[in-house]
Amino acid sequence: MTIHAHVVISYGQSNNPTKRQLESVLAERLAKLDGVTTLVVPNLYDLAPTSSTIQRLKTLPGDLIVLGWLYDRATHWILDRNGVLGKFGITELPIDEDDEEELDSSLDGDNEASADDMARVIDERPALDRTIYSLDLRKTPDVEVFVDEVERIVSIAAQSRPQPLLDWLQGEGTAEQMSRYLGEPETTDDATGRRWYPVIDFSRCTNCMECIDFCLFGVYGVNGADTILVEQADNCRKGCPACSRVCPENAIIFPQHKTPAIAGSPANAGGLKIDLSQLFGGSNAVTEAANERDEQLIMAGRDAVGMAVGIPKRQSGGRATDRDELDNLVDELDSLDL
Amino acid sequence: MSDELTFMMGEFEAVFPTDRKYASNHMWGQQRGDHWRFGFTAYAVRLLQDVYFLEWDVEAGRELRDRQQMGAIESKKAESDLFSPLHGTVLKFNGVLMDDPSHINVDKYTDGWLFDMTGDGSGLMAADDYIVHLNSVWEITQKTIKGQLNQ
Ligand code: SF4
Ligand code: SF4
Repeated sequence: MTIHAHVVISYGQSNNPTKRQLESVLAERLAKLDGVTTLVVPNLYDLAPTSSTIQRLKTLPGDLIVLGWLYDRATHWILDRNGVLGKFGITELPIDEDDEEELDSSLDGDNEASADDMARVIDERPALDRTIYSLDLRKTPDVEVFVDEVERIVSIAAQSRPQPLLDWLQGEGTAEQMSRYLGEPETTDDATGRRWYPVIDFSRCTNCMECIDFCLFGVYGVNGADTILVEQADNCRKGCPACSRVCPENAIIFPQHKTPAIAGSPANAGGLKIDLSQLFGGSNAVTEAANERDEQLIMAGRDAVGMAVGIPKRQSGGRATDRDELDNLVDELDSLDL
Repeated sequence: MSDELTFMMGEFEAVFPTDRKYASNHMWGQQRGDHWRFGFTAYAVRLLQDVYFLEWDVEAGRELRDRQQMGAIESKKAESDLFSPLHGTVLKFNGVLMDDPSHINVDKYTDGWLFDMTGDGSGLMAADDYIVHLNSVWEITQKTIKGQLNQ
């Protein structure tokens, strides 16, 4: 008997009964599939790195298939920040018919930002030999679609690396114990409250440090290798997405934000659809970020700083490489007072 | 509808009735007693094309700053946040659009209106001034859209 992949189902943040229903039906169905174990866990975004669930996830070897109520990128990089690392698995959930036309212009997975020769943080990392597949449960209420996709991934995993369950149980598995893990979903339990913090997509991040300069709440830090990290996640101000607008690579994800581009939708901001906001009277992203930051500063009883602190240098034309034709156009737009 | 002015968006002829005023964020405004009724201009609708989603983030009765974000719209090809054309109070949103936002495409100057709001409309433009405004933004609008498409 072999296990080829581990399925993880992450609860939604709310207690929405429709969501609960899909989660439990899926857990039952997926646990019955050959070649997988199924683990049901609290909302991944809300979990602390020290929680028993995260500890448990870290012990799961081989490929992971993670189902949750978030964009695939959000799920992937939440796991990453918690030390559950893997290559970004390309999934094949069917796309809404409406979106089909857009397919050509959107790229799958984690490579859409790497088309140019900018060095990404991920390039510095050792190669990973396991893959993490994230599936967004919001895509369809149809259980069978997810079951089919999990089966497809498991068959790929089986070809690449059949993995004995005994190894996974670290030698302590007897036949009876094994059967305990098969056929039934297992559940982990950690008390979670709703959290709000940025998650960095390191396949996009260039370690430019704009975010650490911009945030005045001490959320960002650097590790021993001087790589950016979200150090004090819970210092982040609830509802504030400001730094995501400042990041030149669109690498900062707020998984619960209502704007898809900020919540980790697959394409670059505006890549899927033309964003007309600026033509229809919106201000540019950095101005908006500075306003949002001021709002948070004032709520925290501090003084607003406007555009005086930590505003990306590219706004003053400092980063020549970042200035392309579009930037210039956007500046022209600003000066037009639309 | 009385008189109208036209503006060529490439091959497309955008039409603007002269019986109303225009805001620079591409909404028309028509005075109705003590308040204004706003809707999208032909220019905005042409950029959006087939609208299928419209959402308001504020409730009727809310006072809005000029240019305050108030909602979002999505079409097959484009999306945009929506911003208040005036400083004033929203009185009412067009309920017809809540069920079927495609009225924006069909009846933009009549049944496809967006909302009613109070406020000082003296800053709104007459149709001919709006055409002048469009002349100044059309070039950049095209480039912006192309720029985003080529991303
Ligand atoms: S601003 Fe973006 S690219 Fe720069 S370090 Fe922060 S996350 Fe990375
Ligand atoms: S959202 Fe605001 S508080 Fe949170 S990390 Fe970004 S700038 Fe800092």
